Amino acid sequence: MKNKSKWMVSLICLLIGFMAAIQYQTVTAQPEMRDTRGTWEVREDILKQQEIQQNLLEKIESSAETIHEYEAKSSHGQLEILKRTIYDLKEKAGLTEVEGEGVLLRITPIFQENPNEGQVYPTLSPLLLSQLINELNTYGAEELAIGNERFTNLSPVRNVNGSTYINNRPLPSLPFTISVITEQPEKLKDYMEASQSITRLAFENIGVQVEVKQHLTLPEYSDPVHLELFEETGE
Amino acid sequence: MNDMLLPFLFLLIGLSLGFLTDIQIHDPYSNYLSIAVLAAFDTLFGGVRAQLEDIFSETAFVTGFFFNVSLAALLVFLGIQLGVDLYLAAVFAFGFRIFRNLAKIRKYVIDQKLLNKSGN
Repeated sequence: MKNKSKWMVSLICLLIGFMAAIQYQTVTAQPEMRDTRGTWEVREDILKQQEIQQNLLEKIESSAETIHEYEAKSSHGQLEILKRTIYDLKEKAGLTEVEGEGVLLRITPIFQENPNEGQVYPTLSPLLLSQLINELNTYGAEELAIGNERFTNLSPVRNVNGSTYINNRPLPSLPFTISVITEQPEKLKDYMEASQSITRLAFENIGVQVEVKQHLTLPEYSDPVHLELFEETGE
Repeated sequence: MNDMLLPFLFLLIGLSLGFLTDIQIHDPYSNYLSIAVLAAFDTLFGGVRAQLEDIFSETAFVTGFFFNVSLAALLVFLGIQLGVDLYLAAVFAFGFRIFRNLAKIRKYVIDQKLLNKSGN
């Protein structure tokens, strides 16, 4: 091979290599995920994360305090602390009676003033009840009782043969009350009076009256708690 | 064999240059490049084969490279205009030729050596 042709061929090889490399890069390149959040959104996200961190730190602190107390006290004191911890946990799970100020929701049927049409007695469907409960929780409800049933985090709302069941017991027919314990009853009342689910309930001929109560007593959840399906969240 | 050293070295340089520059082709044009790369490989293996057969011609190599690449690009362009996946034809043709060339290269490089060994 002549010297000149050698260089020519080499140059083309260079070109081929270059093309192949670019092709490889184009094929393997991942589409870039762009962060399209604005400054405000980023700030909000940071705030949210800080809040989570704060909550976690508080949890750690209280746990550490319990451990510290447990280590410091004598065996009698340890028993006391254990009992208190169990009571706290029971309270959190809804296994104890709770008292406090809150809001009372009276769920009543609305009767149309139309004598020509027969009206079916309204019933509260599980869907609407779930929606109402979700809204109450969103607006700051801490403890809930529907009729005489304590509504815990584990309580199911089910449709059994067309009637609504809570905690595997049927809901009483209208009217009944929903008691809500919350730190800010006035605020919850305002929120609930303007809430969507009350409008939806009105479509179903169900009215809701919201009242602030200084003293409410919620019954305990008396059934055994099934925890077989629980696992750690890894938080 | 020594004749192939410089082109091979340049191939490596080209590859590393390509990886270092971090250039990416936009999606609509990626078809052109892939076909062009295929054509280039076809030419490359054809050249190697010709060199081993001692019928290598520099003119044929250079013109073959540019002609194949532009023809492939044209085919892709035509395919896009007509709404027919014509680049598949190019893929098929080039793939077939690459296989044939590689088979011949294998024959010359490996089989010949084995034959020499058994002959000795």
